[in-house]
Amino acid sequence: MLVIENLVKSYPGQHGQDEVQALRDVSFKVDEGAIFTLLGPSGCGKTTTLQCIAGLENPDSGAIRMGDRAVFSSRESVLVPANRRELGMVFQSYAIWPHMSVFDNVAFPLVHGVKRVPSREVRPRVQKALEMVELGHLADRPAPLLSGGQQQRVALARALAHEPRLLLLDEPLSNLDAKLRDTMRTEIRSLVKSLGITTIFVTHDQVEAIGMSDQIVLMKAGKIVQQGSPRDIYLKPNSVFTADFMGRSNLLPGVLENGGATARAQTAIGPVSGIAGSELAPGEQVMVVVRPQAIVIAPDTDPAQGSNRFKARVDAMTFLGDVVETEVETGGRKLTLMLDPYTSLVVGQKLILELPPERCVIVPAAKPPSGRNPQ
Amino acid sequence: MTTGSVTGARRSGVRLDQQKLVLALLLAVVSILVLGPVLVLIRASFAPAESMPLETLEFTLKNYVQLLQSPRTLSLIWNTVVYALSSMAIGVAIATAIAWCTERTDMPGRILVRILMFAWMMVPALVVGFGWILLLNPGNGALNVMFRELFGFARPLLTIYTFWSLIVVTAFAVVPTAFVMISSLLRNMDPNLEQAARVHGGNAWATLTRVTLPLLTPGLFSIGIYMFMAVVQAFDLPLIIGLSADVPVLSTRVYLLSSPDNGLPNYGLASAFGVLLLVVAAGLMWAYMRATRLGERFRVVTGKAFRPKRIKLGRWRFAALGFTFGYCAVMMLPLLILLWVSLQPSYSTPSLSALGGLSLDIYRRLLANPMISRAVLNTVILVVSSATIVMVVSSLIGWFTVRSNSKAGKILDALSFLPMAIPPIVLVLAILLLYLNTPLYGTIWILVLGHVTIYIAFGVRTMSSALIQIHKELGDAALISGASWLTSLRKVVFPLVWPQILNGWLWVFAHSARDLTVPLMLMSTGNLVAASTLWNLWQFPDLPGAAALAILLMVALLVVVVPSQLYVARRLER
Repeated sequence: MLVIENLVKSYPGQHGQDEVQALRDVSFKVDEGAIFTLLGPSGCGKTTTLQCIAGLENPDSGAIRMGDRAVFSSRESVLVPANRRELGMVFQSYAIWPHMSVFDNVAFPLVHGVKRVPSREVRPRVQKALEMVELGHLADRPAPLLSGGQQQRVALARALAHEPRLLLLDEPLSNLDAKLRDTMRTEIRSLVKSLGITTIFVTHDQVEAIGMSDQIVLMKAGKIVQQGSPRDIYLKPNSVFTADFMGRSNLLPGVLENGGATARAQTAIGPVSGIAGSELAPGEQVMVVVRPQAIVIAPDTDPAQGSNRFKARVDAMTFLGDVVETEVETGGRKLTLMLDPYTSLVVGQKLILELPPERCVIVPAAKPPSGRNPQ
Repeated sequence: MTTGSVTGARRSGVRLDQQKLVLALLLAVVSILVLGPVLVLIRASFAPAESMPLETLEFTLKNYVQLLQSPRTLSLIWNTVVYALSSMAIGVAIATAIAWCTERTDMPGRILVRILMFAWMMVPALVVGFGWILLLNPGNGALNVMFRELFGFARPLLTIYTFWSLIVVTAFAVVPTAFVMISSLLRNMDPNLEQAARVHGGNAWATLTRVTLPLLTPGLFSIGIYMFMAVVQAFDLPLIIGLSADVPVLSTRVYLLSSPDNGLPNYGLASAFGVLLLVVAAGLMWAYMRATRLGERFRVVTGKAFRPKRIKLGRWRFAALGFTFGYCAVMMLPLLILLWVSLQPSYSTPSLSALGGLSLDIYRRLLANPMISRAVLNTVILVVSSATIVMVVSSLIGWFTVRSNSKAGKILDALSFLPMAIPPIVLVLAILLLYLNTPLYGTIWILVLGHVTIYIAFGVRTMSSALIQIHKELGDAALISGASWLTSLRKVVFPLVWPQILNGWLWVFAHSARDLTVPLMLMSTGNLVAASTLWNLWQFPDLPGAAALAILLMVALLVVVVPSQLYVARRLER
């Protein structure tokens, strides 16, 4: 449905600074009907990519195709302006026009857009769009009298009223409070799924991304780091950056002993077996990524030694309600575990940890971004 | 569906052209309005005195030599500087005192003072000047006559035709504008800074002199430069008072050289003086920009309105009241005398015995005069078209200065700001030189052209500061919804800033109606407006007629502008 090819975009430097490379050769493909997420920290280029798709920014080079129609191509010198791309978009600020009623906001694309409809069709179409977001009763309300959640729904209705080819969502949940955010996330997902509309979603929040998407593209400094399903990206990170960005993880630096399916790395706590990417060769500096939820406490009766089993001692426990964050020490390293709140472990207790090999991911070593500790 | 991409490409041309076309059009319009006259003015200053600048190829430095050699040049510059500096200093001092009383003390009648000040900003300086002449001219000025009769003075009490009278009248006239600027400066200053001084043991006087005034200094400094610049560019008061007082300044000199009472106009020398005045004004503009940037650095203005604790004046309140309402009373005098004169069939000084003779005859005579009705019609055309054209062009330029990063946008911004540094008298001289031999000259439209050029800089400032507060996504949302660029402006962006557009429109409307410079310099029988007719009646002389017209002009302005401004102010506060 949507194909992005080799997008490059740079902004001229301001105040004597260097030019900013916003996008460096970004390519991806979006399937018809998919919810596709651009994820990354601020400044990674996700918003620029969305703006280029929308036509609000123009890339320096590359191509953007929707269906079999190019809307941008530097080689064929095609540039379709934003208003001719037949898109719907929900902006971060919602961009609800405060001088109009809810009805007029939603009717705008039908009255002033490219795909205009006969005037007698406007009212039923607007009403249908508003009912889709459960706001049918608010049509005549002036836009400034809406709550944040209602504004968001109006923005969604406006974006969908003219049945666009593509729906763009620019951090639509970031201005809502936490509880409403969860509700809206589920609602938006089920709505766009029931309409079958292809959706591009931009966010910096990995929980939102995992909950919303069919596919995720994780970006960093204008480049794609990893693309895949939420499960793949969370459980099989291809880099320290992905592992770190998608959630908490224990990182064990080491050296790869042998690669492939039965990979093993030598680390400070001993040899750890895991899954390694095929690009890694024995002898390379690597990092073993183990999610806190991946670690299992082995029964006492089991022998201490064996594959991926390590003696450890409980150092600290923090009761958080739904989990107990537990810090253990093994081989001079600290590991974090998430235990269920009914655990009988106490600080100082000795135990045996098991790191199931299929839950240990070996990635190339890289300096973890300093000063960041994403949840 | 390759055809899709082809039509898409062609369509993209359409939109880009829409934006590019408007940009090109604006650039062309602003260049013609601003650059054309300035280049012709510079050319004229190098042309021989007896020829028109566009009809000769000769280049000569004669005008500049004459300008530099004449001993009068130095006295002109001296007069201008003394005039501007003294009026500015007195005006800003009075305005600061009144603003401090209304913003920071519990003086009664604060709201009345604010309303009066806003109303006076609408009163043409020309009208005030005429009023003062009627009050204080040495022969039969009303105040002089009264004092002579009451106390038997042999000599007039005060006379209007002196340098000092000119300075004081001008100072009084700049007070309302300075008051509005200074009170917003005071209003935006964080009162915590003052309270901190009080908490740490400073008394009221120490707080005022050690904290409040030093904090206000950068702001007051830039307001001072702005006012100085305004007085340097002033033309009407130096014309009606200064020339009789034999105090020529640069602006009246330019006028006399290009429209002499007898003999041929010396456009070459006038242009050379014009260039001199232009350089002075541009220097002041530069100083003003530096000063305001410096002010930003000391910025204690946080943007939100504070509710400061008002200082209790106690017994001092009578002094404050006396001072403030003393000023207000003095400002009422010229308007009252005009009203009086306009109600007398033939001119006589105010007295109880003349009270019986009051009538509206003058107004009837005035309104029956076809020349007057013509002038009224012309005035309406002038002010409505100037205000409308300025705001349409400024709104579009404002959008480009805020939203476009292109070079063309920056050039547009700079070009539209340029008239700010060109004194109106110089600009009108330049317009005169450029259009003298075109059919436009002598019509009302040449006046519209002049006013559009003069007020465009104000319009663009107003609109770009309004548009910068409109979230970019509001316009983007319209584009994504499929609307063209112009539709997004028409339906979304401009409707969101209409209070500011209306405010700017009213400002241009009022200033265009009160301006004498443009109508007088470009006067012909076909384009008389209220201000130039007022001048003609005064010169004729038909004093009751002039007074009645002045009152009508003033009332019309107040009735249209003040309620609308109050309405807009309320809309903006919401």
